[in-house]
Amino acid sequence: MKRLLTALMVITILVAMSFSVLAAEQPFKGTTLRIVLSNHPWTDAIRPLLSEFEEATGIRLQVESLFEDQLSQKLLVEFASGTSTIDVFMQRPLQEAKQFQENGWYTDLRPFAEADQDIDLDDFFPSALLAETVEGVLTGIPIVTEQEIIYYRKDLFEQAGISVPTTMEEFEAAAAHFHDPENSFFGFVSRGQRAAAVTQFSSFLYSFGGNFDVDGVATLNTPESIEAFTYYGDMLRNYGPPGVLNMSWPQALAIFAQGNAAMYTDASVFYSNMLDPEQSDVGELVGFAQFPAGRAGSRPYSVVSWGISMAQTSKNKEAAWEFIKWATGKEITLAAQAGQVPSARTSAWENPEGVKSFPAQLVEVIMASSEGSMPYDRPNVIGVGEARDVVGTVIVTAIEGGDVAAAANKANRDYQAILDREK
Amino acid sequence: MSDTMVTSNRSRRKKQLRNLGYWVVVALIILPFLFPLIWMLLSSLKVQADITRVPPVWSFTPTTQHYRAVFAEHDFAHYIFNSGVIALGSTAFSLLLGLPAAYSIARFQQTKFSLGILVARIAPGITFLIPWFMLFSRLRMVDTYTSMILAHMLVGLPFIVWVMTPFFEGIPVELEQAAMIDGASQAGAFFRVLLPLTGPGVITSSILAFVFSWNNFMFGVVLTGARTKTLPVAVFNFMAYSEINWGGLMAAAVIITAPVIVIALIAQKYIIQGLTAGAVKE
Repeated sequence: MKRLLTALMVITILVAMSFSVLAAEQPFKGTTLRIVLSNHPWTDAIRPLLSEFEEATGIRLQVESLFEDQLSQKLLVEFASGTSTIDVFMQRPLQEAKQFQENGWYTDLRPFAEADQDIDLDDFFPSALLAETVEGVLTGIPIVTEQEIIYYRKDLFEQAGISVPTTMEEFEAAAAHFHDPENSFFGFVSRGQRAAAVTQFSSFLYSFGGNFDVDGVATLNTPESIEAFTYYGDMLRNYGPPGVLNMSWPQALAIFAQGNAAMYTDASVFYSNMLDPEQSDVGELVGFAQFPAGRAGSRPYSVVSWGISMAQTSKNKEAAWEFIKWATGKEITLAAQAGQVPSARTSAWENPEGVKSFPAQLVEVIMASSEGSMPYDRPNVIGVGEARDVVGTVIVTAIEGGDVAAAANKANRDYQAILDREK
Repeated sequence: MSDTMVTSNRSRRKKQLRNLGYWVVVALIILPFLFPLIWMLLSSLKVQADITRVPPVWSFTPTTQHYRAVFAEHDFAHYIFNSGVIALGSTAFSLLLGLPAAYSIARFQQTKFSLGILVARIAPGITFLIPWFMLFSRLRMVDTYTSMILAHMLVGLPFIVWVMTPFFEGIPVELEQAAMIDGASQAGAFFRVLLPLTGPGVITSSILAFVFSWNNFMFGVVLTGARTKTLPVAVFNFMAYSEINWGGLMAAAVIITAPVIVIALIAQKYIIQGLTAGAVKE
């Protein structure tokens, strides 16, 4: 009898346990999360995996995906109204984090990450986490990183017997060597459009020893900064294509991709466009090299271009965290990186699966660029757009061959005013 | 005899020259307007690498890949349906409210009322956006056809009222009175006598209200979601960070523009009539 009772008890406990296991399998059954993402290769990479997450957790996902400018607009209106139903959203930390944090639109993810070791924050590049941290608040988890690199024509450099430039002097010499405007071939191309050029100019600025500001003081007119402006402007004026003042990445990239330029400096994310035969004539001929060294060494930016965040107004924060943890976890990050999305996780870069879709030379360059890099590629202020216009004016003056020092002095005053306003 | 032949030849040549000059001027004026459209059409038929090529390629093998992708991969049929429902809905409801309103303004000289409607139209749409969003999200109506139809009526309704008021003013009140003597009610006179007479106006104003709604982007960005996304918003699906699918973008643009152009061509006669009628009154 006693034995029977024990057996019954054991069975009951087992049954009860199996029920609780079943319940634990879909712990968030009935919850719906509204997730707003940007049109981005990352989004394309995780989209087919979402149903796995829904099955495992019981959370239903309502996903919208928008072009980045629209995403910003939508987030602004929804959050400003205070009645948003967004739970999780993609954001650009360098463009938006300061403003959004100032307005209290983020849920601090640090307490979640500390309570839940599964996320393994130590696996992320420290600079990437720093980029997402505003006033001690972890505003998001980094998902996409990029560095400024040199794209060059392997075939032409080999033919000419010129080695890939490692210093600014060699860089200019190479541009001069290949420049042949009469045959519509240019030594160098990069962005020249006022605000758009600022991010790709920033690596030149840092490598010459300059910066946008130091400890709240604008430093756009220091000798180092002026040298950087002048160098960038001279390069584009002397060895660049006509009309460079109207070029952002779509135009500049097209010139290089159509085989009309020897070198191009821009973000590493564009490599997949270069290799795609539908968009590019130069595919196999493209080489990748680390940013050239100036007076202060090779100091390209290495930034988090996108992160994923939780809205302050979310009513399902536990479930939202579950999604963020899943979407930024090692497994999904690896899958996304296999879809050509450069991540911020060391484990993905160390895994052969994770670098399979990247050219070996590019992986080396990305790894090398991360050392000595700068964590931002634009003025680190709330009024980013305005500050970019201010800096861009000097770039334009330099390209036009105007008085760079005078333009830099004026820009420095304007930029200082922006910095003071935000103190 | 030969003299007259020379003069007639000369005058014919003169006429031909004048004709030629006329067409040259016409071409010069039209080309800048048509060029973007032609460029759009050509680009939608090129492969990506050819679209951005400098100098441009003029002879190429056309591809329909972008059009196929627009429907197969991007579900444009769904967006066309959404835009259609919203544009037709907002135009229909604007007519329903706007025609009687315009009639009443015309007959009873309600100038303050009409001014009030105009003010709503003059204020930039973006000022309404945040209040609307708050309202609709509290009512759980974001991403519904109703909220978009209401939002687009903000522009469509005043438009119809303002175009239609002078039409109704232009129709002699005696006509109505005659109808009423024959036993029609005021409403009956309005529907049976006045409306048929103002046909061109109704067509013009509803086409313009429809086109506004069809093209409007700003309201759609904020007030639609996955279910009710409209065409102008969906076009941006072809633009992504670090990648712009120009071919898809152009094909989608052609698809969006085509109905508007067709409508405009069919209805241009009415539009001119509609916009000029009532300008001169006896």
